This record gives sequence, structure tokens and C-alpha cells, in this order.
Amino acid sequence: MMRSAALCLVATLAAALPLRVWGQDRHPDLSGFWTVKFERRPSGQQLIDELPKGTVMIHDTGAGELGRGDFAGLKLTPAAKAQVKQYSPAKELKRQNSCVAPTVVIYMQAPFPMEIYQGRDLIVFKMEYFDMYRVILMDRRKPLAHDAPHYKSGYSVGHWDGDTLVVDTSHIEAGTFMNNGLNHSKDLRMREKFRLSPDGSTLWSTELYRDPKVFEGTAARYLAWTRRPGKHVFPYDCDPTYAQQ
Amino acid sequence: MQEALGRIGFALILLGCAAAANAHHSFPVYYVPDKIIKVTGVVTGFRFRNPHGLIFFTVRGKDGTRAQWKAETNSPNILRRRGWSEDAFKPGQRITVEGYPSRDGSNRLRVYRVLLPDGRIFVSQRPGAGVGGGADSAKK
Repeated sequence: MMRSAALCLVATLAAALPLRVWGQDRHPDLSGFWTVKFERRPSGQQLIDELPKGTVMIHDTGAGELGRGDFAGLKLTPAAKAQVKQYSPAKELKRQNSCVAPTVVIYMQAPFPMEIYQGRDLIVFKMEYFDMYRVILMDRRKPLAHDAPHYKSGYSVGHWDGDTLVVDTSHIEAGTFMNNGLNHSKDLRMREKFRLSPDGSTLWSTELYRDPKVFEGTAARYLAWTRRPGKHVFPYDCDPTYAQQ
Repeated sequence: MQEALGRIGFALILLGCAAAANAHHSFPVYYVPDKIIKVTGVVTGFRFRNPHGLIFFTVRGKDGTRAQWKAETNSPNILRRRGWSEDAFKPGQRITVEGYPSRDGSNRLRVYRVLLPDGRIFVSQRPGAGVGGGADSAKK
């Protein structure tokens, strides 16, 4: 009696777990509300270990932004060095700058929650920060022409590599790369990997950047989110008069 | 000619990189992240809107002179989840603000927390938690 009850319990748990973690297409189900997870040590170290050798890690997500002149050890190009030399914190705080939406490079890094809606051919990220949306095309379409328009969210094409969602983004407008004066060019390319923790409660991600006009080699950020069922992002209304007060 | 083209190209690259200023600014660029000061005064205004909230308050010095202070908070979106609201502070209310001093020496600080005489504490940004700290560190 006890044995059959235990077997029944195990069978129930085994049936329930994949339903939560795996979607209908046998891919991990990333759907839901995710809030930034503050970690002293990355629980998703395995994703960091998969980054190309020599990649510079930018530790400005969640726990600590970088100060003036600290570009995480990136080797900047002469053009980028000239650009950061012009940076003026006082000039930055102007009404016209206060509510400029960032590009995907910064809004993914920012400490705000997001919602993910996952379909077979399309994955949509609804970001709280600046009410931004991302569309990830999963239908293996061709890359966008080089001279096509550039956007805040860029053009993202994704695919599944086993249990990992891999997203390649191009056509991102030039914008802020770090919040301390370093910008990225419109030629930046970003490869993201998203992977669930075994219990499905944490989402790990790395963002790998290449932008030869701005820095040599590759740079990356690591991020982690906690799943919070039943929660939603708030609207983000931005008031530019902040800079005048 | 080639040199001139090179210069034009360099300028174009520079232009492309410098195209966008950002709404969000780095906290340690404007404030000293490893120092906390405490300022007590009377609220004259409270703005609870993105990108940052602002508490305006008057501080009376030992010599009786009054100085206007401004305390910048984390994004209201983040703070709502920590129990803040538009009417958290009202004009005439006495508050003590603990926070990170401005780098330019002005009467401005970034809020770590606000203490009210009735014992309530409103946390904005804990030491070492960066600008966001994530919702996990959002508990009072």
C-alpha cells in the first residue's frame, strides 16, 4: 500500500515537473514574469564558462555600475576614446536626455522586471523599463539586409540549441553601452544565451557583444532573473522635467 | 586625399558612436557610492515619477540659516514594490535622509533610506546593492 502510494507520488511529480519547465514544443518554457535576481556569485556560472576565451566581463548589472573612466578593462578604439573624452555628466542631465529610451543593450541590463511570451515561431519580451518590447523571430528567416533600418530593439533571430535559447541581434541604433559615457555603434552585434535552472525558477543569460568600432575583441554581461508567477510589469511613465528640478 | 578621407571616416565613426545620450545615468558617476551622510530636514515637496523620484527638503544649520536639499531616489517603479507611494512624504513632515553624497559638493544626495519620526523606514538603495539591487534585495 505504502509502496504504491510512493510510486504514485513520484509519477505525479515526474509528470508535473516537465509541464512547468518544458513547453509544448519540447523546448524549455521561458514564459512568465521575471524579476532581476541579485547574486553575490553567479548561479549560472556554466553560461559564463561558455563565453569565448578572452571575453571581458562587464560587471555593471544589478550590483554596482561603473564609475567615470572605468570601462571594465575593454581596449577601446581611438574613436571610442575620443568619444568618452567628450562625455560630460553635467551635460547629460538635460531635459532632452531624461526620457530617451535606451537600446536593447541597456534595457536588458537594467534592474527592471520583464515578461516573456513564448510561442513556436515568435518569442516576445515585454520589458518594464521604458515599456520596451522585443520580438525574437524563431522561424529561421534570413538575416536583414545590412542597409535596413536600425531600431532600439534591433532585429533578433533566435534558435534553440538543446535547452538553450540563442538570440542573435543586429540593426541596433547607436546608443549607450555603459552608463558612464561609453556608447556602442550601430554595428554592434549581440549574441544572447538564455537557459533555465534545473528547477525552472531562475533564468540565466549572457549577452556577448562585438563592436569593432568601439572596442577590441568581445565583451559580455551576465544576468539572472527569478520567476514570479502571477506578477506583471508596471507601466513606465517617464517625466523629462526631472532634469530641471 | 587618402588622409582626408581617413579623417572624414574617423569623424563619421565618432559621430555614430556619440549619437545617443542616455536617460539613465551611472550612479557612481554622480554620487560617492562608498560614503553615507545623514541629513535631517523638513519636506517641501516630493516628486514620485520616473526616471527618478526627488524629495525636496529644507535643512536648518546650527547658525539658523536654511539650506535647500534634494534627495534622488531609485526609480519609482522599483520603489512601488518596496512599499513607496506618491504620498509617502508630505510637505511639513520631518525626515532624516541617509544617502550617498553628490560628487560636485552640492546639496544633493542619492537616497539609501528615509527615516520618519514614527519609526517607518523607506529603503531606496542599500549600500553595495548598486542602482537596482533587483527585487530580491527590495525587502525593507
